[in-house]
Amino acid sequence: MGCRDIRESISVFVDGEASAGEEASVREHLASCERCRALERQMRAVGAGVRQLRGSVPDRFREEVFARLESEGALPKRKKVFPAAWRWAAVPLAAAAGLGLFLLTSREAVRAPVPRAPVTSRVETSAPVALSTEDREMLALLDILEDPAVFDADDDAEGMDLLAPGDPADSPNPPRGGRSGA
Amino acid sequence: MLLFREGSREAFEELFSRHHRAVVRFAWRMTGDPSAAEEAAQEIFLRIARAAPTYLPTAKFTTWMYTVARRATLNYLRDTKEDGEKVPILPEGKGEDGVYPVQLPGPDDRNPEQVVWEAQLTERFRAALGELPEGHRAAFVLNRGDGLSYEEVAQVLGVTVQAVKTRIFRAREMLLSRLSNDLSA
Repeated sequence: MGCRDIRESISVFVDGEASAGEEASVREHLASCERCRALERQMRAVGAGVRQLRGSVPDRFREEVFARLESEGALPKRKKVFPAAWRWAAVPLAAAAGLGLFLLTSREAVRAPVPRAPVTSRVETSAPVALSTEDREMLALLDILEDPAVFDADDDAEGMDLLAPGDPADSPNPPRGGRSGA
Repeated sequence: MLLFREGSREAFEELFSRHHRAVVRFAWRMTGDPSAAEEAAQEIFLRIARAAPTYLPTAKFTTWMYTVARRATLNYLRDTKEDGEKVPILPEGKGEDGVYPVQLPGPDDRNPEQVVWEAQLTERFRAALGELPEGHRAAFVLNRGDGLSYEEVAQVLGVTVQAVKTRIFRAREMLLSRLSNDLSA
């Protein structure tokens, strides 16, 4: 076979698509033809050249393709993480979780009560507060309640005129109605 | 693809992840232009998604995908041609036996397999590939670039295996003619 007739077979041979008979013919010709051996090498080279053209995927290619598909409605919608049935189940589940949390914290409270800081320490650390007139009156009343003797003395001094004869205020243990005079 | 046809979005996402690089690369080799390749590649995936309802697994998925890809790039090239750019596209089934002004380079002392495809040479190769008739370019790119067999290329292009042999051979001869100075010592 001449060079002109075997060129196409060399191309097929280079691509690994030659039949057994065709391959044998090509090998036989190449063994004796320097010119066609060079041609074979060049044919392999241009094949390698195609693979050098790789290109690159544009940055936002995926986003743009999916956006176009979405706008056309050509893409099924993504499945929701919580389907409708699970959304209804979420209400009793949340309630149960809340109840469990309540019970747990209640038990913890019984087991380990939080120690209260002594009142005195709070008073000691607090800054002095200016008392209003009303506050002073309230404190005075508290003093009276803590010391009945003071209460009685006041009663004797100021409240006598207000009380009618035989009023329970005369009794040794008068009711707290005496506070109304303040 | 069958899962996607049945309504699985995840199946399409998987399909996209597996094949988008090959699709972009094919579009780039066929159009020779990054922005054109991106546009064509987007169109390819749109066509794949649109075709899902009628998809039948009569061939390998990749063979079908390249069929869609080739049609999309062909349409793109035709549109470009109509816009006035020079893109050689021969009608289907013609040109395989046509005569091209090919002058094969003579023997050389360099081993072409050792040729370093530097950026400049790659650019010249890209330009030469772009001058091939579309049918020849598609056959050559699918076989040498994407690794499809002659039989698969024939299915994608809708021609006989013999036509594929001829197209690839012609493509090689034309490329060698244009790149003879780069490949010869």
